[in-house]
Amino acid sequence: MLKTSTITMRDAVGKILEEIGEEDKDVVVITADVGKATRVYRYGEKFPDRYYNVGIAEQHLIGFASGLAAVGAKPVVVAFAVFLMRAWEQIRNSVARMNLNVKIIGTHSGFSDHADGSSHQTFEDIALMRVLPNMNVVVPADVFDIERSLRSIILEVKGPTYYRIGRDYSPIITEGYDYKFSLGKAYVLRDGYDVTIIGAGVVLYDALVAAKELEKMGISATVINLLSVKPIDVETIEMYARKTGRIVVVEEHMVYGGIGSAVAEVLVERYPVPMRFIGMKTFGRSAKSVRELLDFYNINSKAIVSKCLEVLRYGDRRS
Amino acid sequence: MVKVDAAPILNKPSLEDINSIEAVANSIRRSLIIMHKHEKFLHMGSSLSSVDIIATLMFRYINRNGDPLNRDWFILSKGHAAPTLYAALAELGLIPKEELIKIQSIDSILQGHPEISIPGVDMSTGSLGQGISFAVGIAAWIKSRGGRGRVYVLMGDGEQDEGQVWEAITHAATLKLDNLIVIIDANGFQLDGKVDEVKPKPYLPFVWKAIGWRVLWCDGHDIASIMTAIEEALESDRPTVIFAKTIRGYGLKHIENTDKQRVEDIEDVKDFDNNNA
Repeated sequence: MLKTSTITMRDAVGKILEEIGEEDKDVVVITADVGKATRVYRYGEKFPDRYYNVGIAEQHLIGFASGLAAVGAKPVVVAFAVFLMRAWEQIRNSVARMNLNVKIIGTHSGFSDHADGSSHQTFEDIALMRVLPNMNVVVPADVFDIERSLRSIILEVKGPTYYRIGRDYSPIITEGYDYKFSLGKAYVLRDGYDVTIIGAGVVLYDALVAAKELEKMGISATVINLLSVKPIDVETIEMYARKTGRIVVVEEHMVYGGIGSAVAEVLVERYPVPMRFIGMKTFGRSAKSVRELLDFYNINSKAIVSKCLEVLRYGDRRS
Repeated sequence: MVKVDAAPILNKPSLEDINSIEAVANSIRRSLIIMHKHEKFLHMGSSLSSVDIIATLMFRYINRNGDPLNRDWFILSKGHAAPTLYAALAELGLIPKEELIKIQSIDSILQGHPEISIPGVDMSTGSLGQGISFAVGIAAWIKSRGGRGRVYVLMGDGEQDEGQVWEAITHAATLKLDNLIVIIDANGFQLDGKVDEVKPKPYLPFVWKAIGWRVLWCDGHDIASIMTAIEEALESDRPTVIFAKTIRGYGLKHIENTDKQRVEDIEDVKDFDNNNA
């Protein structure tokens, strides 16, 4: 159990991996010269024979992990999300195509590496992973979601899985909720009936703030944590489309091919309702904090409120 | 005993062994011609240059029995030589011979490039440079767990252009994977033409050696030469690469040493046997 709620997402992953390594002697952690930045070097100190640092070589990192999986190990690849995408074709051909049990943890995703700027910020990874057959995509909202899901993903979920986390910006979002992680399941953080806000990751903090703002205006908003982006929880999404009649999706990712697209793909077949998308449409930039960037690119509670008000002019409540 | 660069303990192949592998290799070549009669879109040149190497590995060295840590693995990193692999697997009885002529058909298990769903195939390949990383992963875990299994990888010389090869072989040298043997089918061609015209690679053996690999050479169409090199590799305390000098399209005079794939004027298998005599 995490002792503190002030821990960052990368620290939480590092700590929980150490616990998992203790429990299962087949778990191997592999990184590409970012052992310190991703915090997994501690796993290496604890289990030197089950830790590989392949150097700055992401394509080989993925291929090497696929070999480990083929011969019976349980490899967990941990590296910066953006540079893992350099090995997208390796993930496609050497992992997903053989449906190998490789867990890929992309850290420093979204704006979380705020200082390094556009080269290090990742807004494409969910789309690139989601498009691959066999690949699961999981985006925890905060350290509590990591605690709920990571052990299950590594020890229980079979098959390739992409797990997306940030660096240090880790607002507390799901503390106190008592849901259990189950792959393919979405979680309702707040139940309302006028509009549904769907998101995953740290932006859910702003979604909850927006829902409170809307409440002051007499508007009742549902907030859904789409922790499991793929497989996606069709039933819950459809249920809330029917219930609230309007959907706003917010993501720290491109609006193209990401969480908004995933939700739209479901609804266009099951129950189309007016939707709005909040997310990135271009590359990021450097800033002093993640907060600054979220505000600069309009991925914040203000934008969510405004999109909810906009979509409320269309469609209608169904229950 | 320090084995580095020591003279190999030669497990000298007997004439009988050589003859039996040669017979299998010829049978594989015959199968390739028959497959080609049914499916023109096969990488014949590259498949034929690999026949003797694959036959030697499969019929002499690769022990497929045992658990994943104690059996041998064969990774065909140059996946376009899949027809040769399939023909060899048919010789071993792992896939039915009748299936061979159905290669690349909609209702056949035999895909244009290897897939692990095919019996006897250890890795889905087809994207160059990825087999070697996969093999390093297998060899590392076997070594870490004290298994007896060895990992054999067959690569192309053109394939060496891929940056991932550098990433993988530097890592293999760091891990001192003495259970990893790479054979490079050096047929002198890549897709666009002669290696020397597309992108000459005279540096290759020097690069592998400088990184820390044991570097050996052999004649890739001489079973005794291939076996001698592998015997020496088995004694190495480092990962070993064998540059096997081969001829693209070997055995088919019409396409030998050219970038041609198709053999329009082969009359029948006899024609081929005469050419190869």
